[in-house]
Amino acid sequence: MTPPGPLRSAAETAAGVVALVLLWQFGAPAAGIPDYVLPLPSVIAARFWETLPVQAQHIGVTAARTTLGLLMALVGGVLLALAVIYVRPLKAILVPILAAFNSIPKIAIAPLFVIWFGLGAEPKVLLAFLLALFPIFVNSVTGLGEIEPDMLDLARLSGGNEWRIFTKVRLRNAVPYLTDALKVAFPLALVGTIVGEFIGGNVGVGYLILSGQFNLDTPLVFACLLSITLFTTLAVGAVALLERVFLRWRPSRRRR
Amino acid sequence: MSSAAITVDGLAKSFGASQAIRDLSFEVRENEFVTLVGPSGCGKSTCLRIVAGLVAPTSGRVEVRGRPVTGPLRHVGMVFQSPVLLPWRNALGNVLFTAEMAGESPRDHQPRALELIRLAKLDGFERSYPHELSGGMQQRVAICRALLLGPSLLLMDEPFGALDIMTREQMGFELQRIWSATRTTVLFVTHSITEAVLLSDTIVVMTARPGTARAVIKVDLPRPRDAGTLRDPRFVELAAAVRDNIEAQWVE
Repeated sequence: MTPPGPLRSAAETAAGVVALVLLWQFGAPAAGIPDYVLPLPSVIAARFWETLPVQAQHIGVTAARTTLGLLMALVGGVLLALAVIYVRPLKAILVPILAAFNSIPKIAIAPLFVIWFGLGAEPKVLLAFLLALFPIFVNSVTGLGEIEPDMLDLARLSGGNEWRIFTKVRLRNAVPYLTDALKVAFPLALVGTIVGEFIGGNVGVGYLILSGQFNLDTPLVFACLLSITLFTTLAVGAVALLERVFLRWRPSRRRR
Repeated sequence: MSSAAITVDGLAKSFGASQAIRDLSFEVRENEFVTLVGPSGCGKSTCLRIVAGLVAPTSGRVEVRGRPVTGPLRHVGMVFQSPVLLPWRNALGNVLFTAEMAGESPRDHQPRALELIRLAKLDGFERSYPHELSGGMQQRVAICRALLLGPSLLLMDEPFGALDIMTREQMGFELQRIWSATRTTVLFVTHSITEAVLLSDTIVVMTARPGTARAVIKVDLPRPRDAGTLRDPRFVELAAAVRDNIEAQWVE
């Protein structure tokens, strides 16, 4: 037997989702679940469609904040990793501090950020940044730092200076570590933004979810979840695209 | 007589309390193929790294073309036991790596890279990634990479140590062929007596740890040497001489 192709497995997934939605649509009323607890898929779809412009506006704001926070974490994480790699003594100082800081649930600091930075975009972006920073930093240290000693010797004997070694060896070596880090850091950054929106401000999908809750508008809450899902799908697709461009050489990819 | 390319004089190296090399002296002349042969742990790889400037000696004098070695040498070809190729670059890209590290345009060196690839019988695999090549082919890419800029010195640290016997012998013949076309000064490290006699002009036999030169044997076999050379009585005689020198130290 040949293994199922990508098209066939996609079709199977789609069939599974359709079956689940159908079960929900017809099973929930049969089980007597009230609409304000679990609205029917058709109701959610209608509410999503009705509120589409509002959804787009709010998820757009959330997406921008998350992306900004994530990019800041990417730059910050890589810079911190470089500091640790090139200035050896820093490793003993920075890594324990960052690890200790990482053990604090950053969500707990969110109210503090409102006091410090107000109700605008800043506390949201900062929360996204803080949540995404650690995994990116850790993976950057590995990807940029763990180069075979023989490779580094070879590069130096060939006349390579630190800059050339950085661009041609370290950075390229780090790419798969960074794309993996982005896969972990993206959902974390999104959590940061949405929690930030929960505790203050009047824009963003977190705010829209809260207003749905206040009005017992459960279909709106679910419609927001649908918006978030669409955004995450897009982001995961973007990372996959990056991998496809940069990691063509990988054995597992070339066999496909 | 040509001048000395490498001079090692009274070299000693200790790692903490353990002495790896003591009072090692030998010379490598220009365009000469010199092999350090000896049992595992005799400090021959360490000696190679000291000559390359990658490791500092504890005492002694190491000079390359009259200049004391103080840090990593520049523009020296190096081949390690493992090929250490960049997995995201194809064979051609890996060969061109040396040019890029030297700050030169890879485009300018592409014709020479392709020539070396042909010489190493890797033509057709220029665009293959390391994981698509066999161990022997990967090592040949590493040799091409080391030779790309025409280094005046080629250092090889048990380059065929990780290969199976059959491939190893084949690689020996091919290295000899490639070397004949370039005639670079080579310092080669191995623990294979056959390999040492087949490839070298001069063999420095080292004692067990702490290593020092026990004998210097000139190999006067005509080149090119091939599979037939292995059955040449002179080859057998020289191999026996190297072996006697290595084994004699166990008796003492």
